[in-house]
Amino acid sequence: MDIRKENRILKWVLIIISFVFLAVFLILPLIYIIVTAFRDGLSGYIKGITDEYALKATGLTIKATIIAVLVNTIFGLAAAWCITKYSFKGKKILSTFIDLPVTVSPIIAGLIYVLTFGRQGALYKYLDPLGIKIIFAVPGIVLATVFVTFPFISRELIPILTAQGTDEEEAAALMGAGTFTIFRKVTLPHVKWALLYGVVLCTARAMGEFGAVSVLSGHLRGKTNTLPLYIELLYQGYDFTGAFAASSILVIMAIIVLVLRLILEHKGKKELDVSRR
Amino acid sequence: MSENSTVKEAYVELKKVNKHFKDFHATDNVDISIPKGRLVALLGPSGSGKTTILRMIAGLEHPDSGEIWIDGKKVNDIPGSERGIGFVFQSYALFRYMTVYDNIAFGLRIKKVPEKEIKEKVTELLKLISCEGLEKRYPSQLSGGQRQRVAFARALAPNPNILLLDEPFAAIDAKVRLELRTWLREMITKLKITSIFVTHDQDEAIEVADEIIVTNQGRVEQAGTPRELYSHPKTPFVAQFIGNSLPVKNYDDFRFFEKYEDEVTAIIRPEFVNVYKKGEKVQFLSSAEEATVEDIIFRGSSFEIKVRLHGNLISAYRSIIEPAVEVGEKVDVFIYRMFLIKNEEISIISNQSLKQESVVI
Repeated sequence: MDIRKENRILKWVLIIISFVFLAVFLILPLIYIIVTAFRDGLSGYIKGITDEYALKATGLTIKATIIAVLVNTIFGLAAAWCITKYSFKGKKILSTFIDLPVTVSPIIAGLIYVLTFGRQGALYKYLDPLGIKIIFAVPGIVLATVFVTFPFISRELIPILTAQGTDEEEAAALMGAGTFTIFRKVTLPHVKWALLYGVVLCTARAMGEFGAVSVLSGHLRGKTNTLPLYIELLYQGYDFTGAFAASSILVIMAIIVLVLRLILEHKGKKELDVSRR
Repeated sequence: MSENSTVKEAYVELKKVNKHFKDFHATDNVDISIPKGRLVALLGPSGSGKTTILRMIAGLEHPDSGEIWIDGKKVNDIPGSERGIGFVFQSYALFRYMTVYDNIAFGLRIKKVPEKEIKEKVTELLKLISCEGLEKRYPSQLSGGQRQRVAFARALAPNPNILLLDEPFAAIDAKVRLELRTWLREMITKLKITSIFVTHDQDEAIEVADEIIVTNQGRVEQAGTPRELYSHPKTPFVAQFIGNSLPVKNYDDFRFFEKYEDEVTAIIRPEFVNVYKKGEKVQFLSSAEEATVEDIIFRGSSFEIKVRLHGNLISAYRSIIEPAVEVGEKVDVFIYRMFLIKNEEISIISNQSLKQESVVI
């Protein structure tokens, strides 16, 4: 009796804490963003988001995100595949290093590339004659985005591939199926939802990346400014309406990703139930 | 095809095959010869190398040295998919995101068989495994026995010459397992397909296989029919592994068993022993010894009676239709024979009174 009563009190206390926390740290700021974005009326907001530089920044963000997601999908699949299906020397090292980008501060990621590709860098004297510019240019931004979102996809795939084992692949191979067929017919259906979920996480992270990109971008308005950098620029210039209008774009993109994630989680769980029952 | 002429020839052959996994010698100079159309069991305790042998025949593992021959061809460098093999995995490894139909059709589709023929073949196989109507189900929606049969059908679909089964009954509950054993034996006999299955369960091997290959510590201990292994074990391991074997040190304490050499152990099996109730009229009563019943275990079709004799707890079977004995009861025990293990050799010693009697007659 007492225990049940205590449990009920605890339950409500925990619920209230969670909601208050969410309200103070998330909902309130979000409302503030929208209110500030519309401070100068609807026309001010529209002007803010249709600003030439805002559009260019959005475009660049989307571009960098798409490239990063593509690169990491390919890399993630390859890494997860080789880590779970083969045994080789250096497997542990590979598996550990994949996680490095999440543990290292993004600013360091940016600096690493400046040191590698910058004027003092080891590769500069080879790349410069070829006309390849990485630092303070779009390739640098893409590179930084790829770096910080590196492990998202492989980390989603590895546990699932490990749990599956290699029996089904061996069975298919014994029946004469080639590697690509095995991947398409046996492995891919199995990791489909995890892969999509990884893509969603990767997208979310790529869109919002600030630190590493900030170091590498050079902040050239309309050229190398992504949305987060552009927002910061406006904010530093006391253009609050513009900054928050641009922020709202990023927020909308994040909400789309969040909804996608919910749908995927739901669908994936359903199918997992079918396969496990 | 002149089947008779090929019956005795080896169809699957391993010659001096070795395989290491790091420091572990999984297969140690193994020679195996399996004739066409036989149903063979690879029997041994876990870690004895039986699964490794099976996987090497399938091409899933590659021997470090030695040769593997199938149907007169050396297959060491031929990929598993071209060896004409159907493989049933211990976990079944059914493609979980494909229906039963697509699972069975998979191998045929890879071979680019026309869809119409595939349909005929799959329908035929579904009938064979009594799973008609399940073609749209997913593996997760099947019972253990059904999964096993679908895995069997999938392995058979591309018309393999050899069927390999890795612990085919391990994942199934006891009741269904017995049914499936009989079913599998009938099925393989009907299809006349050369089959090799791996098991650690001697009852399973004895009941299902035409021939058993006993493995231990990566070596082949003995190959032969179940009866041969049972009555003429060639190595101490086989003598102890097969049957319900009890090692006895002081075998010469038993009446009518002489001492042979030092440092030998004898093995007594329940089927070598008869237990008689006092007063029962039997042939060898005069040469029997008295012992006390310590335990009785009901085995369904018989009782296992455990009696204490010269310090050993000896088991014997007694039919349920014979007069019952009780724990603590004094009974007469007659032992027909024992296996004698000296060094690495096995011999059979019989009760001396049997010889005397035969002389008398």
